Parts: sequence; structure tokens; C-alpha cells
Amino acid sequence: MAIIEAVGLRKVFRSLERQPGLGGAVRALFSRTFVDKVAVDDVSFSLDAGELVGYIGPNGAGKSTTIKMLTGILVPTAGTLHVAGIVPYQNRMANAANIGVVFGQRSQLYWDLPLRESFELLRAIYDVPRARYLENMKHFAEILDLERFLSTPVRQLSLGERMRGDFAAAMLHDPKIVFLDEPTIGLDVIAKEAIREFISMVNKERGTTVILTTHDLADVERLSRRIILIDEGTVIYDGSLERLREEYGTHRTLVVTLAESYPELAVPGAELESRDHNTVRLRFDRRRLTAEALIRRVTERYQIIDVAITEPDIDSIVRRIYLEGYHEGVVGAPS
Amino acid sequence: MRPRFRFEPYVQFMQKAMAREATYRFDVFTSVASVLVRVYLLRMVWVALYARNAAPSELPLHAIITYSTVALLMGLVMDIDQTRLLYEKLHTGGIATDFMKPIIVPLYLFADGSGEVIFHAVLIVPSLLLALLIVHIDVPGPLTLATFFLSFGLGYLVGFCINFILNCVAFWTLEIHAMQLIVTWVTDLFGGEIIPLVIFPAFLQKVAFALPFAAMFSTPLLIYVGVIKPERYAAALGLQAFWIVVLGLIATLMWRAGAKRVVVQGG
Repeated sequence: MAIIEAVGLRKVFRSLERQPGLGGAVRALFSRTFVDKVAVDDVSFSLDAGELVGYIGPNGAGKSTTIKMLTGILVPTAGTLHVAGIVPYQNRMANAANIGVVFGQRSQLYWDLPLRESFELLRAIYDVPRARYLENMKHFAEILDLERFLSTPVRQLSLGERMRGDFAAAMLHDPKIVFLDEPTIGLDVIAKEAIREFISMVNKERGTTVILTTHDLADVERLSRRIILIDEGTVIYDGSLERLREEYGTHRTLVVTLAESYPELAVPGAELESRDHNTVRLRFDRRRLTAEALIRRVTERYQIIDVAITEPDIDSIVRRIYLEGYHEGVVGAPS
Repeated sequence: MRPRFRFEPYVQFMQKAMAREATYRFDVFTSVASVLVRVYLLRMVWVALYARNAAPSELPLHAIITYSTVALLMGLVMDIDQTRLLYEKLHTGGIATDFMKPIIVPLYLFADGSGEVIFHAVLIVPSLLLALLIVHIDVPGPLTLATFFLSFGLGYLVGFCINFILNCVAFWTLEIHAMQLIVTWVTDLFGGEIIPLVIFPAFLQKVAFALPFAAMFSTPLLIYVGVIKPERYAAALGLQAFWIVVLGLIATLMWRAGAKRVVVQGG
């Protein structure tokens, strides 16, 4: 059963057009021109309860705007939206009780108070039964290793500690759905792994639906099977990570270190991706040409010292999609 | 669908605000010390002024010293911008996370501000005791004293509305520093905290009493020192209530428009 249903979601912001320079700034005090900016153009997707989906896109693609609409703090310009059967912006309070939110860049903890007091406050806000609260606290404190700094004021916590606190805070009331907006940003590898572990636990053991927005695709690779790619306010891919990898993973790169520099270098069947001094990167379609055949073609023409083959990682796949757009069945298309 | 209303979170907000204020201990001590310094300085100023001029008939020297000392003690509560949190949240964008919680946001701001104010109100007692070492304060009869406290409460609400309106402006401008300076200056002058409005020239008095700022300090203080006589109590409190209604209405409209702007424009 779908727990989140978005159809034709659209959000247009009206903003002040700013003229450059001091003169422009002064003019803007008196005469104002407005420009419409389409943040989300047309987004539709449906999420089943218990899914964990990566919501991916470049900066300014409309990710945060979508999340804000899902949490009920932004009213869509057009389209329909249901979150756990509720229209978020029409019933902000009821929706708020169903969701948990974590922003990597913004804490919802109370700055001047010890971490423990923020949890107490959230217990009161969400009306969590005392027994359940203690149970969750014990569980989270264990997994996230909170005990050490529960009595420390939030402003004195390190980023990693604060994020762990934020995660516990967002999950304290057993929300049906959690929205995670760049939750691992700025964290070191160990803290990142602790957070990923926690997200995975919440999703698997508690069946919480998770929408994860991130620029760190390692988060997605580690956690989700499904990703929704969004660019310029529209969904450009919605499906499994594996399919994306298959479709875009048809090309490998042969990295060749040449014995001398050849000014004009060309190998049939391969595309020159880049070159740096005597190191060249040759991209080839593994279904048309075996690595062995390509190496042979290279050695027939040039003196080489070393070769290596690289598989495309998810980062480079997504980078390519950002640059070129997603094409269904890119597999067959000649590049 | 709407979750049932519970007081508990707001009581907690209030308690947490008090706890938060208590963490800034240095601030507590300096605010008490600053009141005492100002009590002393104002006493010197009034004594000097009264020695060189004819005293106004309604405010003899002991009355004006009582007036300014009580005003400074009231200031411990009244001079707090209880809704500054709203400005800060609009500035940092933190207001968004509050809207993502199942709480009534303005009520949260009121609870938080009140917690802050209650904490500072507690400081009035030690400040008063210490002030008594410096000056003598007249104590009026029980009816006057009770009316004074009621009027002080109403004055607090007038101040709350003015601060709330001011901080709501940040929904549109983000920055309110200059406006705040102007309002502070006008309040200082026309609120009656420093100079009793009754010793203003006639024309300026008319202006001052027509403004809502007089309802903050001047009304309770003039009741305290007996310039406003018991037969005029009802009218004085009524005028304060009138300002609460008017300013409360403006505050509500501004909040609604501002909150709508957040949900439509994304803050």
C-alpha cells in the first residue's frame, strides 16, 4: 500500500529580481520586479510503506522543496499529495505527528540545553507514552552511543555527536515516515557509518519508510535499492540502482600509461575520455569490444608501460546523467 | 484528524526557557547590578533637579524617586524582548523545523517568552531588597497596590504585543534592527519608564497619552504613586485593555500573513 503518493507536484516561487550593483539595490527599494522560479516542475512518485528510497539530484534540483511539501510547510502550486492518507499542507499538525525529520545542516535540538532535555521536550510534544519513551531512549542510546554526552549542552557537542542526537530526536515518537535531508554531510567516515547503520536498523527493524536526500552516493549504495533522480524539478529516473548500473555500466575505461607522448592518439572502437601527460583514459563499450582486444589494438599502435581497467562507480554514472540527462535504454545507443 | 490539544508541551517550553535563562548566570548578576546602578543615578539626578527647580505639585521628590525605582524594577521584566526567538528563527530559517512539529507555533513562542520573563521576574525581589539600601520607596494602600499589579500585567501584555508585531516584521524584511532602535527610543521617551509623562509640556503629554506606549509603564506607575486616583482606575485599565485588543489584532493579522508567506514562499 502506498504511504506517500505524489501526483504532478509543482511549486513555483515568486521572488524579487535583483539588479546588479549599488544602483540596482537602491532602485530595488522603490520599484520591484518579480520573477517566477519553478523549483519543482512536475514530480510524481509513489512509495510503499517500509521502503527506503534515495532522492537524488544536483543542487537546486528541487529536492528540498519536495521534502518541504511532504512535511506540510510548503503549499504546492499544483498537484496532489498524500502522506499516510493525509494532505500535509491541509493538516500540518496531524501530518507532523506521523513524520520525523533530520536536516544535516540544521539541528532541531535545543541549543542551550543538555541533550537529554531536548528529548524530554520532544516526548511532551509528541505525547510519547513514558514506557515507550524510555524503551526507545535505551535502544537509541545503545546504538548511537549517546550515553557519554546526554548531559552536555547541545552547543558543546561535536557535529558527529549532534547528528546522532538529532537522529534519536527524530525517531523518538516512532514516526511512520522519516525524511533525511543530507544527514551525513560533513561527518567523518566512522560517524557516517554509525548513522547509516542506524538508518538501516530503523528501516529494517521498525519498518519505517525512509526518504533520503544526499549528495553522498555512498549513502545510497549502502542503504537503498531504489533511487529517484530529480533534475530541474522533474523526475528523470525512478527505479533500482542495479538497473541504472547495468544501463550505464556498459562502458568501462582503459587507463593506459604510454612510454612516450603521442600528440595524435586514436584507437578504433574507443573514445578518448581524457589525457594527462602520458596517461590516457579510453572509454569503451564492453559488449562491442573486449578489454583484451582493446589492449591489443593499443599495443599495436603505441609503446605502453602500464594498463588498468576501471568500472564506472555510481558517482560517475550520476555525474554523467546530470550532464547529459537520462536516456532510457542508453545501453544500445552508440556513444 | 486534528490531534487533541494538550498543555503539557507548552508548560515544558516555559520550563525549558527558564532553565535556559538560568544557564546565563553572569547575565543575571549584571542585570541586577545594572538596575541598582540606575536606581542610584536616577536618585541623584532627581535630587539635583528638584533642588534647583520648583517641584511639580503632583510629584514631590519622594514620589518621583519611588516612581523611578519601581519603573526600573518593572524594567527587569518589561525590557525583555520575549519574542526575539521568532526573529532568530526567521533569520536562521529554524522556523521551518518548528512548523514540522505538531505544535501551535505562536503559542510556543508565547510559552517560551513567558518562561524567560518569569525567570527574570524572580529577580525583582532581590533587586528590590538591595534597592531599599539606596533609596526609600513609598508603599501605597492595598487597593492601589492590587490595581498596580493588575495594571502591570496589562502593561506586560501591551509590551508583548508590540514586541511580537516588531519581530513579525522580520517575516518580510529579515532585518529589524533599525526599527527596533526607533521603537525602543520611542518607548523610552513616551512609555514613562524614565521620565513621568505628567511632567511633560502640555502638548507632548497629549501626544504621549494618545500612544500605546503609555499603557506599558506610565499607567501602572501613575497608579502606584497616586497620580491616577481610584475613581479613574477603571478608565485607566480599560484603556490598557483597549490597546491589548487593538495590538493583539494587528499581531494576529501579521502572524497569519507571515506564516502564510512561509508556507507559500518557503521563508
